[in-house]
Amino acid sequence: MQTVSPQASPATETPSRRRTAPRPLRAVRKLGASLGKHTVLLLLSAMFALPLIWMVGTSFKTAPQALAFPVVWWPHPFVWSNYPNLFAALPYFRFFWNTFLYAAITIVGVCVSSSLVAYGFSRLRWPGRDAVFYVMLMTMILPFVCTLIPLFVMYKRFGWIGGYLPLEVPTFFGSSVFSTFLLRQFFMTIPQSLSEAARIDGASEFWIYLRVILPLAKPAMATVILFQFIYCWNDYLGPLVYISNQNSYPLSLGLTLILGDYSTNWAWVMAGATAAAAPIVILFFFTQRTFIQGITLTGTKG
Amino acid sequence: MQMTTRRLLPAARAIRSSRWRATQLGLLFISPWAIGFCLFYLYPFFATLYYSFTRFTGIGNPVFTGLANYSGLLHDATFRTALFNTFYYTVIEVPLSTVVALGLALLLNMNVRGQAFYRTLFYIPSIVPVVASSLIFVWIFQPSFGIVNSLLSDVHVNGPAWFFSITWSKPTFILLGLWGLGQPMVIYLAALQGVPKEMYEVAALEGAGPWQRLRKVTIPMISPIILFNVILSLVLSIQYFTQAQVIEAPPGSPGSSTMFYVTYYYQQAFTDLHLGYASAMAFLLFILVLIITVVLLRTSRRWVYYENEQR
Repeated sequence: MQTVSPQASPATETPSRRRTAPRPLRAVRKLGASLGKHTVLLLLSAMFALPLIWMVGTSFKTAPQALAFPVVWWPHPFVWSNYPNLFAALPYFRFFWNTFLYAAITIVGVCVSSSLVAYGFSRLRWPGRDAVFYVMLMTMILPFVCTLIPLFVMYKRFGWIGGYLPLEVPTFFGSSVFSTFLLRQFFMTIPQSLSEAARIDGASEFWIYLRVILPLAKPAMATVILFQFIYCWNDYLGPLVYISNQNSYPLSLGLTLILGDYSTNWAWVMAGATAAAAPIVILFFFTQRTFIQGITLTGTKG
Repeated sequence: MQMTTRRLLPAARAIRSSRWRATQLGLLFISPWAIGFCLFYLYPFFATLYYSFTRFTGIGNPVFTGLANYSGLLHDATFRTALFNTFYYTVIEVPLSTVVALGLALLLNMNVRGQAFYRTLFYIPSIVPVVASSLIFVWIFQPSFGIVNSLLSDVHVNGPAWFFSITWSKPTFILLGLWGLGQPMVIYLAALQGVPKEMYEVAALEGAGPWQRLRKVTIPMISPIILFNVILSLVLSIQYFTQAQVIEAPPGSPGSSTMFYVTYYYQQAFTDLHLGYASAMAFLLFILVLIITVVLLRTSRRWVYYENEQR
């Protein structure tokens, strides 16, 4: 019986053999599993990183080198000139400035309006509050095309087309539902007793908002500012619809100009892409914690 | 009897007035949004509905034409193509990105050394500006000089024309979408880290293997977050536009293989100035999104598990 069983039932045999395996073997198996995990992760990392590496690499090549086939992996000679040449050919700094101004103004709008609205949705109790809050959340899934044409007609009547007003003014009216939602989630975590103590002392609700809640909400505000900045930096659709004059272009629209005008010179195109992506990636490295916190705050408690 | 009511009245009045005060205050605080909602959502939404029954070029007044725009859409071959392309993209992109994002999160959640490094690496592509990432993908998938086809030729595979091929253009956009799935991945990872360790220990004690633990513990525990992300990515996929607009010139090419719903809408609205027709498309898109969301929320009762549910 004992001699037959290993051949007869190998399936039931394996786990028990594994359990009794001598220490070194177990260590080898563990190492193997960890090696397997890291091999998969490294392969995936290569796939995720390759486009960015290739972008930066190409931006330091000469035009003919960029088109070499089979490909040249390391730029040789290593040329910096694509960047200054590109900045000279296109009003790149102008685009940067336009983007920056757009971001700065909407950040003010979002911080003021979203924090007020979030306060009304979290720190005060009133009948119908949660129903209205759900209506606000629902606007998040409303396709933007459902409001675009009447808005365009309306802004045209105001004389706003061609400038940034159509993109800036709504942010002062709580248009960033995402920010309001994030701030509301954060305000809910602040103990109600703080507000009550202030109320007993005779503080007005606005005073409590300004002097008690806002100072406590600095980390959440930082997240809102960061996300709004990135939103503006990446926004393509808004400017595409409303901005017509090339001098007013933000970076996103400016970038498409290189593709149109210099599509034969890929080193330039990639220098342009690098110049647009680098600030955001660098910003991300410095603010990673705020970032991840913000995403998880909205994502996991929704 | 009279005495009691008279005694109660001031108190009742005080409660009512304090409730009224609270409501006033609440409305005051949300008033910026309430005004914005009426001006930038409610009014334009109903105006879109109205325009969809008219012929309108943006100059002069809309002319009422009844259901003409809707019946026009029924017979519009390009509209059907746009609907099909959007459907194609959504049906592949949404499940695929969900599975890949969840898979990456699970992989990262397995106590790997350097988790933060990998997380950062997988996340970065999603914050690269859309226009920049579109340009990068045009370049790496360039048919004759791109790195992808160069690598493929190393293993003796003749790469397709990717963005410039009628059959490959949509799959290439799907790849571009997959590259930027950092956001859902980070959300899934955070959700996975929130699953109590004891649940896995109990499951393991009861003899559940890794596959069973995934199906019976992990997935149910994070199912509300999966639902949230699936709805979000569905709504975004249906409105797919920017990348196609940046990459394909003329928009919708090659053939009409990248003519997505919003691409066609944009052409109708801002190139051809058929504002009434475009409004009808917009309203149909709203109905589509509404149906999909309602169906998902309804069926989700079967597979989404809420921990604090009191039913």
